Amino acid sequence: MSNDVTLMSTTRSEWIKFRSVRSTIMGFLFTFVLTIGLGALITVAIRGHWNQTGVADRLTFDAVSTSLAGTYFASFAVGVIGILFITSEYSSGSIRTTLAAVPNRVRLMLGKLIVLALSMIIVSEIVCFITFLMGQAIYSGVVPTASLSDGAVLRSVLLAGVYLTLLSVLGFAIGIILRQSGACISVFTSILLIIPLIIFFLPQSWQTSVSKYEPSALGRAMMSTSPPSADFGAWTALMVLVIYVIIVLGVGTTMLVRRDA
Amino acid sequence: MLKIDHLTKHYKDTVALNDLSFEVKPGVVTGFLGPNGSGKSTTMRIILGLDHANKGQATINGTNYADLKAPLREVGALLDAKAVHPGRTARNHLRSLAASNQIKMSRVEEVLQFAGISSVANKKVGGYSLGMSQRLGIAAALLGDPQVLLFDEPVNGLDPEGIRWIREFFRSLANEGRTVFVSSHLMSEMAVSADQIIVIGRGKFITQGSVDDLTETAAGSVLVRSTDPQKLTTVLEGLRGVVEDVNDHAMSVGGLTSDQIGRAAFDAGVTILELTPQRASLEEVFMDLTADAVEYGGSTLESTHDE
Repeated sequence: MSNDVTLMSTTRSEWIKFRSVRSTIMGFLFTFVLTIGLGALITVAIRGHWNQTGVADRLTFDAVSTSLAGTYFASFAVGVIGILFITSEYSSGSIRTTLAAVPNRVRLMLGKLIVLALSMIIVSEIVCFITFLMGQAIYSGVVPTASLSDGAVLRSVLLAGVYLTLLSVLGFAIGIILRQSGACISVFTSILLIIPLIIFFLPQSWQTSVSKYEPSALGRAMMSTSPPSADFGAWTALMVLVIYVIIVLGVGTTMLVRRDA
Repeated sequence: MLKIDHLTKHYKDTVALNDLSFEVKPGVVTGFLGPNGSGKSTTMRIILGLDHANKGQATINGTNYADLKAPLREVGALLDAKAVHPGRTARNHLRSLAASNQIKMSRVEEVLQFAGISSVANKKVGGYSLGMSQRLGIAAALLGDPQVLLFDEPVNGLDPEGIRWIREFFRSLANEGRTVFVSSHLMSEMAVSADQIIVIGRGKFITQGSVDDLTETAAGSVLVRSTDPQKLTTVLEGLRGVVEDVNDHAMSVGGLTSDQIGRAAFDAGVTILELTPQRASLEEVFMDLTADAVEYGGSTLESTHDE
């Protein structure tokens, strides 16, 4: 029947919810400011110090990933957007109203996922392309620039937006499992900051085999035109990150279905 | 029709519901009465598919809630009025619910109007008083024009005018042939607003009936005025009556019906001046029925002062 609850109607409902709270708007604002603002600061700094930059550094210089460096900071903003999209339902208790309207919990999860992933990919790609173009304009004339007509460059900029989107979905998936905003933000931050730190203190031989699996290293590989040899290639890194997200989302959805709301 | 069928629910090591069964019929307001912690909210949550029962099931016209195609069009529920994202406006809250069940957006305006919150519909719900939140909850429950309505403690936080409004509202819903199921821990509220009452305690079914049924089955007393209270007391106590509060003219007699008392007085040659059965209030009945089933009972504090 045309009046039933469907994935489409659930997605429309979740879209109304997503856009009607301030945390989403603020999250996107932070994503813009952090990526573009820090991108501008970093590229201006690099341009200013280019004369003092050594030959070795000039040879490994990556005009793409340096201009997109702000995304590492924006990853916390997008994570929080994903986390709050589900945890705010638990903190306010509105999850009960939501599940009364959409009793099929897998459908609810998919509806939220579609809204989050679609809006994140659009916003992230816009942000990443603006940041990249702005960075190259700042470099231009002093520092060697990259052009989108180069396939590897275009891939890096595109995957930067995909990286932010996947991190947001990862936050959402953690949110389904833990249900508490504070706990989720701690875990999410630990994944991005503490894990690299732990790996740093591991013996050198372990580091080289382990560090490439760590999420921020995957991001680095996805955004770089020529990833360091210790990292995965860009597409492999993307695949590994997608697998992470699917696993966490799968665990979360199973728990969502089984638990009392 | 709402059917609760042998529901059992454990939370860790506490038993919230213990083989609970009953039916709620359309066309009347059914009160769901029990002390705090007796399992009313748990029952409501299981009906809505929010909590999973360990045994048994709850069905709406024969269907599990989770299997309803468009649940808001069949069941409207108000569980916790404050359970709305505080940063969202009432209108957006209702629009998101309407969208999920493919309900026309014009219906949102209708229920806002009905609940009397149209003028604040664009304000964030976080700033609402409890009374306004209750009204929003009622608007949400009515959104899909459902045949079955559930309300968990709906009068909490309402002012007297709001309480009267909600009573009339329940009545009109029932008169339209809908199933109206209202929980409360306040027997006085149920006595005036419900036709049928289901009483539970500690997750178990205790009794079910109309307000009249429940008060009739309870042991009431009879007020007796006679020309010779002393003699009548002796006679009635001989019949195993419990005679209390004897004064010059009147006394209260328990354990005997007014018929029995009248006959006994006639046989003993005592003239009866007044014989009035005292109906127990629903409140007394409720206290009686649930005395053993109160999870958190209080006791009277003894005064440390000498009067």
